[in-house]
Amino acid sequence: MLFEMTGIVKRFGGLVALDRVDFAVAEGEVMALVGDNGAGKSTLIKTMSGAHIPDAGEIRMAGQPVRFRSPQDAWRSGIATIYQELALAGKMTVADNIFLGREIRRPILGIPFLDRPAMRRRTAELLSQLDVHVPSLDSWVETMSGGQRQGVAIARALNMDARLIIMDEPTAALAVAEVRKVLDFVRRLRSQNKSVVLISHNIQDVFAVSDRISVMRHGRRIAVRETATTTPEEIIGLITGASEVRAAAS
Amino acid sequence: MAHVTGLLPPLRLASPTATRELVLFAAILIVGAGFSLASPYFLTVVNLVQTLRAGLELAIVSAGMTLVIIMGGIDVSVGGIMAVSAILIGKSYQAGLSSWFVVPIGLASGTLLGAWNGFLTTKLRVPPIIATLGSMYIFSAIMFLVIGGAWISGLPGTLSPLVNGKVVGIPASLLVILAVYGLCWVLLRQLPYGRHLYAIGSSEQSAKLVGINVDRTKIAAYAILGLLAGFAALLYVARLRNVEINIGTTVALEAIAATILGGTSIRGGVGSLLGTLLGVVFIRIVQNGLVLIGVSSLWETVIIGGLLIVVLTADALGNRNNQRGA
Repeated sequence: MLFEMTGIVKRFGGLVALDRVDFAVAEGEVMALVGDNGAGKSTLIKTMSGAHIPDAGEIRMAGQPVRFRSPQDAWRSGIATIYQELALAGKMTVADNIFLGREIRRPILGIPFLDRPAMRRRTAELLSQLDVHVPSLDSWVETMSGGQRQGVAIARALNMDARLIIMDEPTAALAVAEVRKVLDFVRRLRSQNKSVVLISHNIQDVFAVSDRISVMRHGRRIAVRETATTTPEEIIGLITGASEVRAAAS
Repeated sequence: MAHVTGLLPPLRLASPTATRELVLFAAILIVGAGFSLASPYFLTVVNLVQTLRAGLELAIVSAGMTLVIIMGGIDVSVGGIMAVSAILIGKSYQAGLSSWFVVPIGLASGTLLGAWNGFLTTKLRVPPIIATLGSMYIFSAIMFLVIGGAWISGLPGTLSPLVNGKVVGIPASLLVILAVYGLCWVLLRQLPYGRHLYAIGSSEQSAKLVGINVDRTKIAAYAILGLLAGFAALLYVARLRNVEINIGTTVALEAIAATILGGTSIRGGVGSLLGTLLGVVFIRIVQNGLVLIGVSSLWETVIIGGLLIVVLTADALGNRNNQRGA
């Protein structure tokens, strides 16, 4: 497993938000994470991405135990989270955003001048790898569509050598054509042997791209299913707890 | 495939659209033409060079102000930094130190006072307008306590050639301005540091996430502004050979006005040095022209103030219209 969490507990005061959660993603696997509002999905991904520190449990990245004290820590060990708000600088260009904080430099007399041609070349490469179409490398990110910005954010993660990419509701609030595009990004990431955690409310999207599905309910990870061998009905039953009711009745 | 027509990026002196710079440039031409018709003295070499010299300190401070405002900060204490630096410069000269010592003292004091502002806004989390307002009070108090209402006068003019001199017929003050703006342009547009300033102004959270040391970048920006204010103080002393009690009283607001008129967004993330320089030219030409045609200089402040309101309103409306997403 590329990424593994075992026995993760997270409490907020008296509330147990994550109750001994186990979660794992293999290399080149798309793992969907589903569950109702308040089931603990957001808390879980915040723990993966370094925004929350778990109260108990262990996290391993590529076999090595890790402790994240901040999102930067997680980022450094190869875990990139594409947040809903995307965390891009809106009034900067595509290349500027992708290379923000890790600019390619061409020192002249020790002064670290920006190597803009190199950054633009690499940006063009990254975008074509993902098949992202932007109006121009010089247009501001805030003038782009939601799907294009997702593409830029993913390209930035790839440029940071991320191995696990967490996408939080990437298709929410997107037009139909854009949704298809974003799902295509996920497939391309998998084909490059990257691992993806996909959080989504949309069961259709989940079935379209995922390899496995983890279901959260009341702070516990109640099931993991192979996408190929399960059905949307079963997953929805697990999310809503209908299957528990049926089990109790029989 | 992404559009990649030539991998060389456009050499951006101006903001991406350059509209504001063009509008300001047109305004300068129109206002200049108006004053030329109204007064025979306006369009003369003597007058223009005089205006240039008088605008030297404002131009230099405005370059630093542009960096700070692009980063989403502001500094209303630059006049105080200039004043305290000028006093140190004056007292050092009076103590018999040569310019070899006085120049570093002036620059260092400005840098330190600027860094102090940066420390207040980052480590102590005081909003920049409040932090620098507090600093302004402290710096003015220091000035009054030290010089007590009297001028420091009779200072040597060792650096005067930087203000009054000429190099192959070009006024030295123009060369000084071009050098300062050139260096700031390299910093802002050609080095990673400048990208980080824009990023912090555009989205501080995103800058933090990618691992930019936001506090250090901010403190450095305030320190650079302080350094430039210290340099302005040296030129002020070189120009007047005095330190007067009213030193720097208007420079902060004029520098902010020039920066905003020049298209830098008060919310940060957007702005250009060329715009600021045009803003300085515009403000100085209006001031000079009004004096020449015999209009009270109070009207100049009314005009600049009115224009600021127009510009900020237009920005706010434009922002409301093309807001997309978060």
